[in-house]
Amino acid sequence: MEKSTDTSLYLRISEQDKAALEQLYDRYEKILFSFLYKMLEDRELAEEALQEVFIKIWRGKGVYDESKGKFTSWLFRMAQNTAIDLIRKRKKPTVPIEEAAQMASNDTPVDVQVEWQEKQEQIETAVQRLSTEQQKMIDLFYFKGHTHETIADMCDIPLGTVKSRIRLALKKLKTSLHGMQERGAYDD
Amino acid sequence: MTNVDCDRLVDYLNGTLSEDEIEQFEEHVKTCTECQEIVEATGELPYLADPVEPPADMKARILSNVFEEKPEQNNPPAALNPAMSPIPLHRKKSKPNIWRPLIAAVLLASLLGNAYAFLQLSDQDDAPETAIESIELQPSEAFAGTATAEMIQEEGSLNLVVQANQLAELDAGQVYQVWLIKDDQPIPAGAFSPNPNGEGASYYQLEENLSEWDTIAITLEPETGNELPEGEIVMSAGI
Repeated sequence: MEKSTDTSLYLRISEQDKAALEQLYDRYEKILFSFLYKMLEDRELAEEALQEVFIKIWRGKGVYDESKGKFTSWLFRMAQNTAIDLIRKRKKPTVPIEEAAQMASNDTPVDVQVEWQEKQEQIETAVQRLSTEQQKMIDLFYFKGHTHETIADMCDIPLGTVKSRIRLALKKLKTSLHGMQERGAYDD
Repeated sequence: MTNVDCDRLVDYLNGTLSEDEIEQFEEHVKTCTECQEIVEATGELPYLADPVEPPADMKARILSNVFEEKPEQNNPPAALNPAMSPIPLHRKKSKPNIWRPLIAAVLLASLLGNAYAFLQLSDQDDAPETAIESIELQPSEAFAGTATAEMIQEEGSLNLVVQANQLAELDAGQVYQVWLIKDDQPIPAGAFSPNPNGEGASYYQLEENLSEWDTIAITLEPETGNELPEGEIVMSAGI
């Protein structure tokens, strides 16, 4: 079966092709919902954020083109920013709700599951190579959407160095991801 | 990374740049391999999330809301397939009231269950105590909403159904919280957020009697699950 690329779907969506948006939705619903749930720890908020993401795509707010890198990076960044907006509107972090059962999926296409699993293993390994402090900073910065001030407090580091430390952590992450991807390419 | 633009990488990823700054940075990324690679690597982080099963009806809700967002398009907004029922999430659109059936169902279930008791009561028999009290809540100053509370006393338990209208939209996380109060001691008794029509409803069952309480109040809480009110009272009434 010929699969449309994300970019071609995106182009059709920009011409208001509903079927293309539905395809894109199906392709990324689960990873985006899981990611947003990880950030927001609330199923309703995760749904609200996800809806916002697809409204932005449908309305052409925030335009993607290949010069901006991979489509998924762009899509995930938009989701992450939307979640951060919700987090910052909220006064206190909520307590995680246990009801969000983490189940093996039944209706996600197998290739999507496999890809996710592979990527998860890869990024987990890369994250584990970071120092504990770096891991914590990435979690606070990326998933929890904390400001630099909060991160400085929580990690007990000077405010002035928060940015450069996050950058260093991300750089290290990038380097080990690259290393793995290159090795993976040779393995193939 | 002496480049000023490289300095903005973290702010870019953290969503704190203005639209102009985002554009500038995205231009910079095109020519800066290191920033590019870091941005791409960051794009892999979402895969760290453990799979969570989305609600089965979420797709129908989201797509119908997304397509409604642009009424001027060529095709009339319609659900993608007939199985989809458009239940709005947080969009302002005129939609059927999704609460009314719930309230009706709650009341009906409760009332049917008590129909026998009712008849008995009217005979002044030794029937289990059943009583219904309907209370109009009074909005406090500068609050436009209205609400009624139905308190249905059954054998040993009190059912409290609150229905409110003309509510303002809430910020994320906020919730309208119902309280029952006796001698200035409140207990939480249900919570709701308004639907897109500004209507909300809650149902709460507790063990105490109707006569235990002297006041019912609704506050606007900054978050759900507060054991004691933090927000301001928006509506209240004596019982």
